Amino acid sequence: MTNRYNRRNFLKRSVPGLALGSLGAQREARPIRVGFVGVGDRGSYHLDTLLGMDSVEVPAICDVDPNYLYRAKRWIEQAGKPTPTLYEGPEDYIRLCERKDLDLVVTATPWHIHAPVCLAAMKNGKHAATEVPAALTVEECWELVETSEKTGKHCMMLEQVNYMPVMLQILEMAQRGVFGEILLASGGYVHDLRLVKFDPEREPWRLQHSVDRNGNLYPTHPMGPMAWWMNINRGDRFDYLVSMSTKAVCLNEYAAHYFGSRHPYAGMKMNQGDGNTTLLRTVDGKMAVLYFDTNTPHPQTADLRLQGTRGHFSANIGMVYIEGRSPQEHQWEPLENYSKEFAPPLYQTIDRSKFKTARGHGGGADTAVMWARFLKALMSGTQPDMTVYDAVTWSVISPLTERSVASKSRPVDFPDFTKGKWKTTPPVKLV
Amino acid sequence: MMNATYRRRDVLKLGTAAGVGMAVNMLGSGASVEEKKVIRIGFVGTGGRGQDLIGVLLKLPGVQIPALCDINEDHLGKAQDMVVKAGHPKPEGYSRSETDFLRLCDRKDLDLVINATPWQWHTPIAVAAMKAGKDTATEVPAAVTIDQCWELVETAEKTGKRCVLLENDCYDRETLLIMNLIQKGVLGEPLYAEAGYLHDIRAVKFNTVSNGEPWRLEHSIKRNGNIYPTHPMGPVAWWFDINRGDKMNHLVSMSTKSRSMKEFAIKAFGPNDYRAKTDYALGDVNTTLIYTEKGRQIVLHHDTNTPRVKEHLLRIQCTKGAFNCHMNKIFVEGRSNRDDSPEWRARHEWESTDEYRKQYDSKLWRSMEKQSGIGSHGGIDYMEMYRLIKCLQEGKEPDIDVYDAAAWSAISQLSETSVANRSAPMEFPDFTRGRWKNRPRLDIDSIV
Repeated sequence: MTNRYNRRNFLKRSVPGLALGSLGAQREARPIRVGFVGVGDRGSYHLDTLLGMDSVEVPAICDVDPNYLYRAKRWIEQAGKPTPTLYEGPEDYIRLCERKDLDLVVTATPWHIHAPVCLAAMKNGKHAATEVPAALTVEECWELVETSEKTGKHCMMLEQVNYMPVMLQILEMAQRGVFGEILLASGGYVHDLRLVKFDPEREPWRLQHSVDRNGNLYPTHPMGPMAWWMNINRGDRFDYLVSMSTKAVCLNEYAAHYFGSRHPYAGMKMNQGDGNTTLLRTVDGKMAVLYFDTNTPHPQTADLRLQGTRGHFSANIGMVYIEGRSPQEHQWEPLENYSKEFAPPLYQTIDRSKFKTARGHGGGADTAVMWARFLKALMSGTQPDMTVYDAVTWSVISPLTERSVASKSRPVDFPDFTKGKWKTTPPVKLV
Repeated sequence: MMNATYRRRDVLKLGTAAGVGMAVNMLGSGASVEEKKVIRIGFVGTGGRGQDLIGVLLKLPGVQIPALCDINEDHLGKAQDMVVKAGHPKPEGYSRSETDFLRLCDRKDLDLVINATPWQWHTPIAVAAMKAGKDTATEVPAAVTIDQCWELVETAEKTGKRCVLLENDCYDRETLLIMNLIQKGVLGEPLYAEAGYLHDIRAVKFNTVSNGEPWRLEHSIKRNGNIYPTHPMGPVAWWFDINRGDKMNHLVSMSTKSRSMKEFAIKAFGPNDYRAKTDYALGDVNTTLIYTEKGRQIVLHHDTNTPRVKEHLLRIQCTKGAFNCHMNKIFVEGRSNRDDSPEWRARHEWESTDEYRKQYDSKLWRSMEKQSGIGSHGGIDYMEMYRLIKCLQEGKEPDIDVYDAAAWSAISQLSETSVANRSAPMEFPDFTRGRWKNRPRLDIDSIV
């Protein structure tokens, strides 16, 4: 991909000496200028993380909620950065994207605004970074890909789960063949969000998705690491999926319990089934299993698993079994036993423990590592770890599952967003 | 035991009002009441699994085993010795050929024919037994194909004989506890369940261990789907009232590629051995999604190929709570979290099942606690055989009848067809022909 970054040559020279834990070490480097669209819950995590990096400035922020907007302004000033321009209308993100002094636009807005902001950013010559999911429809996914290819701008999805130490260690073990040939990965988003859905002050938009849609509406958290382990878009690709939902009971029951059986929420027709399971098959014959449940009373998130021809891993118990290597046949051993030999190579250049956000409000060290990786790619003009193809492949699962659920779980084909490039793209390398 | 003066025929005539609609069971008709308490069993297939079950049967009162059948004379002799050691007359042995079970079924002095044979023999033996006027019980699965499932159902209906599936996992203490919690409304309504048969049995299939079952290999060579569904399916079917108020409507199924069988053969026999050059159809891992009439979902996993830890994956999500058998933990909304404010409800923590067991433990296990140490598989084989014999003695319908046997076993061929057709949805036959709507909920504590 061509990169029209005009500072590319300068930064290429400076990057080799750049300690990533302190991006501002190169004082002569012009900071990366970031515009923020959405500085509420998630947006404020990213803002706080970036404000902890010397090499970043935030000249423009946008939010329809003035409380969030002015909180963000105050944080930016308190971090010793220039006062940002404020945008507060629902369409104002377009004016923000049109500014001449931005390199990157970050969006952490309700789901349906993610793709429009990314498209506006890229069309105006900015890179885009979006909260998950990147898009809600197949058409939006194609538009993101084509716009990114045409403008030469990156569109990265901020899937921080990929950067958790355990996920990186499993990636390293998988890439070095410890699990043998990969056969199966499974994971889920199983998280009781009934409280949030019925709290219009917090996320007024979220409930509507449960009213209108039925499928796996939030696939990227488990899919991110699974896709890297399975080399999706990098030697393999998803071929088709089938998806099944249960009936919808729990949201109405919850509303009846707390608001009374005559409350509109108690009788509102909910489309989203309480539990959804999706099976995805790759052209290479691997399988992925995804679970989605944000409606039922349940204590624990779904397990994240990987299985190959030589052994398997379970995240919930932190255990692995490797045939011929684990001390007892057919018995688990702690994943820790492999931590030293398979430490993520990324940590040789990044000291995870040194990452600090400006206010301690941010998404934690893994979010910071993700940002450090992305900013490094921007400065060096290289591909980010998560490409636009990853963003849309992981996100398109939602509309495809909706189609399958609506047609009695019939198989639905995946688009090949890479147009064949998956065959020659090498596995992700985080060094 | 219930009223010993029951006239079996009368009871069953009344019992058909429950909607079973089967012909009146004529077992032992004309015999005296006292004789009916003895169940005379012919046992086909006396290998490892058969000997397990014979061992349990010999501990039960009112059981005689006059006939045994196995083409392996070692196995036959061992089983005969077991019966003699238990103080019974030596059973007559049948081992002339693979179809010698036909002669066994023709005996006049048997009430029940049980078989623990390779899968492809289950239906032929069960059908032969029923046609010869005997009740029958078969190891899992009851059938390999849908046609066989129908053959079992139609033979049972025509002959009025029982066909019982010996699914021992249904009798697990936790399974029955959860069934009780569902039936008493503590967990709310079931929404989805996930279960799996996850067990590396390559050595058993390739017969490189002493308890090998070489006949199993052929199934891995020719079939691709969930070819062993009933262990995980049984408990879920009981929790979901399958065939008793709910029914399985359709499924979709997906398999991974097949790698691990060949890798094992190369390692065990060398790359030039014919088994290393064989292609194995069975994908290493299969996952099947089943949708029920009531809008519930069942997720079944099957993995007998990959090097893995054996796992007892079994969990259920209901509208008011969840249970995870693997962890043996339960969560009940409003009870486990103790506080009913919405904020508290968003905070969930598992708890032990101990408190629930005090109130909801199955009567079967409570009253049979002492006996539970008898026999294999931690007591579930004992509970299974006890219930089988008890139901026959009392003239009751068995816990797992021919409709359950057919529906649970049908998953195999449906999943194979789905896998072969890019995971296309496959419809379940309604073996009950509509009677699933009115068949009463299973009550295994009714007679203990």
